[in-house]
Amino acid sequence: MTSAAQPPSSAEAQGRSRSKTLQLLGILSGFTAGAWLGAAEAPTKLVSIGISPMAISLIMVIGVFLARWSLPALILGTSSVRADVRRAPHLMIWAVLAGCLWAVANTLTILAIRDIGLSIAFPLWNSNSLLGIFWGFLFFNELRQAGWRRWTGVLGGALVMCAGATLLAIASSTQGPAGHSLRGVWAALGAGVLWGTMYIPYRKAYLTGMNPLSFVTFFTFGEVGMMSALAVGYTGLTPLWQELLGARGVIFWLMLGGFIWVIGDLFQQYAAKYVGISRGIPLSNSNQLWGLLWGIFVFGELHGRPSSTYLQVVGGSLLMMLGVAAVAFSSASGEEQARWKEAAAREARRYGVARDYVEARLDGRRAADESVYSRSVWDWLLVAAASGIFVVFAGMARVPRMGLHAGPAALLATALLLLLAISAFALWRTTRFN
Amino acid sequence: MATMDNPKANSSRPDRVLTDVHFWVPVAVLLAGLLLLSFMH
Repeated sequence: MTSAAQPPSSAEAQGRSRSKTLQLLGILSGFTAGAWLGAAEAPTKLVSIGISPMAISLIMVIGVFLARWSLPALILGTSSVRADVRRAPHLMIWAVLAGCLWAVANTLTILAIRDIGLSIAFPLWNSNSLLGIFWGFLFFNELRQAGWRRWTGVLGGALVMCAGATLLAIASSTQGPAGHSLRGVWAALGAGVLWGTMYIPYRKAYLTGMNPLSFVTFFTFGEVGMMSALAVGYTGLTPLWQELLGARGVIFWLMLGGFIWVIGDLFQQYAAKYVGISRGIPLSNSNQLWGLLWGIFVFGELHGRPSSTYLQVVGGSLLMMLGVAAVAFSSASGEEQARWKEAAAREARRYGVARDYVEARLDGRRAADESVYSRSVWDWLLVAAASGIFVVFAGMARVPRMGLHAGPAALLATALLLLLAISAFALWRTTRFN
Repeated sequence: MATMDNPKANSSRPDRVLTDVHFWVPVAVLLAGLLLLSFMH
């Protein structure tokens, strides 16, 4: 006789345990993303010559482009990317669209910082996580049947993180507003809306089963294409080229910043996949805290500032950590995950993607009919070419003359590598990077 | 029964993309962002 009180079958118990593991993996990926995205600012701090923010962004995006092709080739091989695209070719459009959104948002942040300063601009564009929660709820069934406790954890956590980010931005700001305040506010809000909306393609891709490593390889075409168009459009081809030639000595540091950023972004993609955008994005927004740690302890940025600044930093950091903890402890319940699966099934039906493939990928597994991908000679050539470009620019790089604190730098770098090793091992062991 | 389960079963892939609200929301936001950028520059 069957009854509601019957103990769960072994398959159900396994399913629940697997789902819990994937949630933990998503949270770990979110933490690691925050650490690496924050560390990406460190190499750019070594650049002190006067090149335009547009050229800085373009060079970083070129570093990002190289990393976005070489890392997937190294981790899984491009045959896995090709297989993903054959299964869901429509997602290439969303990946390119997301890349374009990123580039426009990034350019708007440059203008916002110029017009209203970082301390006002940052909290405005950091609202992107709130918009991400809204789109996740509206389009992808996130936080449906989640209960008030999880709603409070996610929304409250994101709001507390925004408050903490505001305090940190005020503390780390070195410049006041330079005028055009209304224009700057619009630019910062615009960047927040663009970044918040960029998470629609992220979630759509992962609900349809696409591997994050495949998604980012196409994302980067939108990113580099739009950024190049904006840089040429606003600076002019000849002045831009002259600027790039003049910046030869710092190109490596900026490209390195882009490379580190890609590692953080890859973990952000896995967080968006396994805990959804409503939780993954606030977690990876803890990058500001890490950026500030590098700024204070390695570059001595707040040296000589009044004690009130340090109080703001401590207060802001505590709020950020509190928000991160609130989001991390609000993982999706079984009912909510069932609603995610409904959204995934809707995508599979609409675009004719095999249901078993979508279900397997959502579960962090390969579908039964998928082959085991391996790296070809072309993948190794791609990795070698990207590494070669980095080596060439490293040869041209000028070592900056600035006082760095080696001890804290080594400590932070060790923490980063440790987080990378733990998260990468957990992802490989649980999902084989699916 | 494919049409009951999937009302878009007979439409082409571009049609499915172009009738998807998940496509038009990011496109609209991107265009608005480009417009904002051109006003600001």
